Amino acid sequence: MTRIEFWTLTRRLASYAVLSAVTFIVCFPLVWALSTSLKPKSEIFATPPTLIPHAATTENYKALLTGRPQYFQSGGQQVTSGTTPAQFFTRWFVNSVIVTLGSTLISITISTLAAYSLTRFRYWGRTVVPYFSLLGYMVPSIIFVFPLFLVMVQLNLTDSLLSLVLGYVCITLPFCMWLMWAFMRSIPIEIEEAALIDGASRLQVFRQVVLPTALPGIIAAAIFSMIVSWNDYLFGRVFLNSLDNLTLTVGVMLFFEGTHVDWGLLMAASVLMTVPMAILFMALQRHLVAGFGAGAVKG
Amino acid sequence: MDVKLEGINKSFGQVQVLKDINLVFPSRKFITLLGPSGCGKTTLLRMIAGLEPVTSGGIRFGERVVNELAPRDRNIAMVFQSYALYPQMTVRRNLGYGLRVRKTPKAEMDAAVERVAAILEISHLLDRKPAQLSGGQRQRVALGRAMVRQPDIFLMDEPLSNLDAKLRVTMRAELRRFHLDLGATTIYVTHDQLEAMTMSDMIAVMHGGIVQQFGTPAEVYGQPANLFVAGFIGSPPMNLLAGELRGDDKPTFASPGLTVQLPNLVAHPPSRDVMLGIRPQDLDLVGDHEPADLRGRVWVVELLGSEKLVEVEYAERKRVTVQVRAETSVNVDDTVGVRLNARRAHVFDIKSGATLRS
Ligand SMILES: Nc1ncnc2c1ncn2[C@@H]1O[C@H](COP(=O)(O)OP(=O)(O)OP(=O)(O)O)[C@@H](O)[C@H]1O
Ligand SMILES: [Mg+2]
Repeated sequence: MTRIEFWTLTRRLASYAVLSAVTFIVCFPLVWALSTSLKPKSEIFATPPTLIPHAATTENYKALLTGRPQYFQSGGQQVTSGTTPAQFFTRWFVNSVIVTLGSTLISITISTLAAYSLTRFRYWGRTVVPYFSLLGYMVPSIIFVFPLFLVMVQLNLTDSLLSLVLGYVCITLPFCMWLMWAFMRSIPIEIEEAALIDGASRLQVFRQVVLPTALPGIIAAAIFSMIVSWNDYLFGRVFLNSLDNLTLTVGVMLFFEGTHVDWGLLMAASVLMTVPMAILFMALQRHLVAGFGAGAVKG
Repeated sequence: MDVKLEGINKSFGQVQVLKDINLVFPSRKFITLLGPSGCGKTTLLRMIAGLEPVTSGGIRFGERVVNELAPRDRNIAMVFQSYALYPQMTVRRNLGYGLRVRKTPKAEMDAAVERVAAILEISHLLDRKPAQLSGGQRQRVALGRAMVRQPDIFLMDEPLSNLDAKLRVTMRAELRRFHLDLGATTIYVTHDQLEAMTMSDMIAVMHGGIVQQFGTPAEVYGQPANLFVAGFIGSPPMNLLAGELRGDDKPTFASPGLTVQLPNLVAHPPSRDVMLGIRPQDLDLVGDHEPADLRGRVWVVELLGSEKLVEVEYAERKRVTVQVRAETSVNVDDTVGVRLNARRAHVFDIKSGATLRS
């Protein structure tokens, strides 16, 4: 082994060590949640703790996904009458999906069109709007919660999913718009002019040339908007109150109420909440960097 | 189709970038807009394409005024300075886009794309994206996209500026060939005078938003209309010497160190300040003791392959460049004589810059 080979090898080993450590730190809570969610009650607080459950069970998942009360136990007793929050899990899941997709769709549509207009047409204020919109994003969203709540009261929209959709649009739109604006600005105007000369109408240029080129930006903005809406607790907590209308984040917090916290159930809920975002990321991340305006111009 | 520009003015806000352009580009000719960076070539081309509104004046294709016509209704094709390929379409779709939006039948479209790809030798690249092409290949795709449609007018904005020197020379000949095959009027923008000289039927030399001269390459080179054209066209550039025009029936140019009779000029009002223009090719070196028009010391010698450029200082801070054959033996600091072919000299009025003709 020469000196150079030795150093190359050392350096590679060192970088693997660091990367493994980081991966471990990031992944451990997730792995632990998964592990706990698969344990029977007796094993959750066992000492020493087990990472791989001795007797894995899918009880917790069944309980959440079927919503049948006989699975729920409270302090060792079966609950047979009344309601437990966990019964509403699937309902909340659907609610979360609806508000996330709804608000993202609205945010993306508005911000894409606004960004196109801001970068392609000349009118007063088109240079300051994007910066103000970024400024709007920097204000903590808690400041908007109560004013927006009052607006929803006026509009008679409280305790509805629509109110939440509108609320999320309010907090995600500024950043989405700034992001799309920055992205649109980098799309060379010549490719649109080339399409105009090739014979396309304005609308065709937008649909066939601009939108496909802006796709990585649109995906980035959509991911941002979905994360914000999916993970939000504050707006859901303030805007909603009937059990039927809650979103996942607000609903799952109810698991902590009462004398006994069912950790297995809670962890199963957390894992199920993470799954859609994880799938989303894996499906979309390669679009994020790929083909960003590449090759349009010389160089 | 011929293109007529009638009194075109263009301003961006307060800044006027094109001033009273009047030109007629004859049908099926290769016309070059030549000028230094920022003189308004791209702006003029974009106005012909319909991408930029005209501030005042008229543009006609044939007899038809096209000022208000959208780009897609002008039946033009354009190659952009930056190529402007559609990044997420394959080369095949890039080439076919113009036909597709015009609802050409698929079979016809495929045939046209294949034909153009074969001419440009990019058939093997048809399924790649622009990002996977070299600069030269992208440039061919940009050309191909303009060629599939058989336009009336072909607009090109410095399409060769990004290529290496060798490819540029090959492409010059190819573009010229395409032009002849296509039978469209070609308007070509460049700041490279060599490109303009070798490819064009007509050259419009522009400077500061004004057309300085419009003529064939031979006219622009041989009879420059003013000082700007004289200095811009030709490589190495023309020697320009300040002096005074004297004499009545025998006009004579006089300056410190150089006095020469100008047989081509006839009577002129005596004594006016002029600039004498003479190309390095029209000067010759002679030995120190032979008769010469001016004498001086060799300042610097540059070898250009088959020629040598010799800069001679003939008076305090006054130099002329002489082009001689490479075999000529001449060294720095030699004292030499320079003979001047006075029949090839140009005289320009210093104030107006315009040429004084016989
Ligand atoms: N959209 C615009 N707004 C304001 N000024 C402009 C605009 N486009 C061009 N100009 C100005 O008009 C002048 C001519 O520009 P143009 O692009 O036509 O030059 P050019 O001859 O093509 O130069 P180059 O050889 O560098 O491409 C320049 O001074 C430029 O700054
Ligand atoms: Mg230009």
